Amino acid sequence: MDKKKVVEIKGLVKNYGTRGFQTRVLKGIDLTIYENDFIAIMGPSGSGKTTLLNILSTIDKPTQGTVLLDGKDVTKLKNEELSQIRRDKIGFIFQDYNLLDTMTLQDNIALPLSLNGVSSQVCISKCQTLAQIFGLKEHLKKYPYQLSGGQKQRGATCRALISEPEIIFADEPTGALDSKSSRDLLERLKMVNDEGKATILMVTHDALSASYAKDVYILSDGMVKCRLTRGDSRKEFYDRIIDMQVSMGSDFS
Amino acid sequence: MNLAKLSFMNFKASFKNYVSLIVSLAFTVLIIFNFFNLMDSSVMESLGKINSQNIKIVIQCVIVVLCCFMFFFIWYATNVFLTKRKKEIGVYVFMGLTNQRIGKLYMLETMMIGLVALIMGIGFGILISQLFTMILVTISDIEVNLSFEISLSAILWSGLIYFIVYMIFVFKGYINLVSSSVLDMVSANRQNEYVKQNKVILFLKAILGIMILILGYYYAIKEGGMETMANALLAVVLVIIGVYLLFGGFIPLVYQTLASNKRFLYKKQRTLWINQIIFRMKKNYRTYAIVTVLMICAVTALATGVAMHERCQMIHDFENVYTYQIFSQKDNLQNEFTKVIEEHNDIQYSSYIEMLQVEGSFASTTHQKNTFALIPYSQLKELAQDSHQTFELKQPQDDEVIDLSHQYILSLITTDELEDIQIQNQVYNTIQRTTVPYLGYLQEQVSFYCVSDDEYQRLKSTETSLYVYNYKIENTKMLNESTEDIQQHQDCAGLIKVDPQNDSNQWIKMLYPVCIFMFMVFIFASGSIIFMKLYNDAFEEKERYRVLRKIGIGTKTLRAGVQKELLLTYIVPFLLMSLSSYFSVHALANMMQTDLLSVNILSVGVIAIFFVICYGLSVVIYCQNAGIYEKRMS
Repeated sequence: MDKKKVVEIKGLVKNYGTRGFQTRVLKGIDLTIYENDFIAIMGPSGSGKTTLLNILSTIDKPTQGTVLLDGKDVTKLKNEELSQIRRDKIGFIFQDYNLLDTMTLQDNIALPLSLNGVSSQVCISKCQTLAQIFGLKEHLKKYPYQLSGGQKQRGATCRALISEPEIIFADEPTGALDSKSSRDLLERLKMVNDEGKATILMVTHDALSASYAKDVYILSDGMVKCRLTRGDSRKEFYDRIIDMQVSMGSDFS
Repeated sequence: MNLAKLSFMNFKASFKNYVSLIVSLAFTVLIIFNFFNLMDSSVMESLGKINSQNIKIVIQCVIVVLCCFMFFFIWYATNVFLTKRKKEIGVYVFMGLTNQRIGKLYMLETMMIGLVALIMGIGFGILISQLFTMILVTISDIEVNLSFEISLSAILWSGLIYFIVYMIFVFKGYINLVSSSVLDMVSANRQNEYVKQNKVILFLKAILGIMILILGYYYAIKEGGMETMANALLAVVLVIIGVYLLFGGFIPLVYQTLASNKRFLYKKQRTLWINQIIFRMKKNYRTYAIVTVLMICAVTALATGVAMHERCQMIHDFENVYTYQIFSQKDNLQNEFTKVIEEHNDIQYSSYIEMLQVEGSFASTTHQKNTFALIPYSQLKELAQDSHQTFELKQPQDDEVIDLSHQYILSLITTDELEDIQIQNQVYNTIQRTTVPYLGYLQEQVSFYCVSDDEYQRLKSTETSLYVYNYKIENTKMLNESTEDIQQHQDCAGLIKVDPQNDSNQWIKMLYPVCIFMFMVFIFASGSIIFMKLYNDAFEEKERYRVLRKIGIGTKTLRAGVQKELLLTYIVPFLLMSLSSYFSVHALANMMQTDLLSVNILSVGVIAIFFVICYGLSVVIYCQNAGIYEKRMS
């Protein structure tokens, strides 16, 4: 495969707790994410999904192993460089949107770019384009409290996309949404991915959300249990994910 | 665990958060205590009855002002505290506590804070009371012996006043908690619904605010007669309203307009801090307005003090031009009196003048009750030379006079209109007014007019003339040595002796340090109000900054945003104060007939320095409280 490697994880181990009372949450994970991938990570609670995402997004540090992001080992970088990487290479989508309630949707979306010193003209036009794609054009002047959950999450996605990051980390992006808004958001994420505009890593417990991805990794007890790859039909992929969940028998939430 | 224990634990656990509240409360107690203590101290008695009575009135006024100030300050501080605690306390609702019990918990906790503040305030007050009195006496240049003394009644009074005011607001908080719903309590800090305000209303407020402010400024500097006092009062009210409207309308309007211009907004960290200010404005504009008004008061208080001091000094100098002023029916007695005085004293300079006393009944309305005196121009010119004073008076025509006026502490009449006078059915045109103390103390007591020599000779035929011999001696402490000799002289018809030690205006000297002190209190208060506000706001920002760091905004960028936000928070009230204080001090300068521009500039400079310090501290503490430096994010 000649695709560019965006993230490369090797032998990732994470322990929590103090010496003598340590729990190993991640027990050696290897994972490579290529450009234009759309990966979903599933697993029962306590399987280490969130820990993995936190390490990947440089918020947490691993006990062992390396995480290469765009060729750089993020586990060895200093704080200042890390925040630069977070700013330039990574886009985040959170379960609880994390939009700032002090500013309009437009300001929220443009925020990462405008703080990076990009010219305001570019900020405005990019913001307009993304808002068009995500159906938010009429809502740009509104404040987060005036928007529905789905609109907020689409706004948060625009914010993640605006700086054209190498990869987008989405942590349960549909966790707080109803099924219609969820589908709406996922369709658009898929579209952006299909158009080759974004590489996405999504953590979810929801089989429906996972079925929009190209690959699904199932995490269990700190290790990658199996990998499912989507065929032509999303419906069929969804059934396979459900089967897998049933066979594992754990509580996926 | 009982309620008292729980509240004590709460108090201990969050003591660090309340330090700013406790310190500022203790500070108000400390100041009030010191003034009470001063009033009871022996310094007062050593000043003489009239002086001490006047000073006591001044101190009582100051205490009343300080009490009002304390009232608002405690109101404000407990309010900030209540909102902050509401959410925390609200959690107890879920543990099954009733509102009443939560209210009691709050009361107990707040009372502990109040008690600590009271003890600290009185304690430090006692410690620095000696220093306080010493500074006050030194600055006011009063000669008294100091001894260390603490008045029990001062402790009781300051404690009682503080206690009453504080309890009012503790109780208010209790009622607030008891009557608030669970939802209210839990989400006390999350009422973010109105971020932007209606532009039309803002615009109207802005226009109204600017108009009222300009009108206020106009009334402040408008010159006039007796209506000046009413004008000044009107100006105060208008400026206060104008400042409120400006912060409630004009300033949010400016920020909102800036925020809607995206090309401007998406540069540097503007999108962060401008939105932040808009968001905060609705809640905080009253605070900024209070701070601005407080600072204007501070500058005006200082200017009043300086002006009073200067005026006092001027009047003192005015009265002390001569030591002796001797009246006689005969002329050409200079040498005789000189001989008498020189027996015991050395003469610095002396002068002589002839004058005509005119009964008030001969004159026009304004002088009907007072006797007044006329002096000839050429003799006045000579007198000025003898007593080394400037002489820049025009030669009056036969139907003209020059008014020899004197210095006032404060004059409400700010227009400089010259009034014509009438003597024996003839109207004289007043061409000039001078406040040069040609006749010293006498000039302060009697109205003098200078007429042309010819006119003087003409009037002399109908009135009786009197001769005044003025002497200034080298050592005024020896002044009583010659008094008897002069009085026993056969031609002495009357004697005025001026003792520089016996100054009836001494109490005004005390005003000077008191005003300086008020200035410092007000400035300290305004700085600490903004500081406290920011201190508390920062905690509310924690979540927002956590989000910002999560999406990869670096510490440097965030800090730069905070720096700009806080800079604006401090600088806008400061600028408005600088502008307004120019007018208020100008009005004062008119009434006091003193140039106060340098005082104005100096006080604004002092405030600027103090604000820079507050600003620096605020940035550091804001960043800490908002968790900008925190490493852990999840």
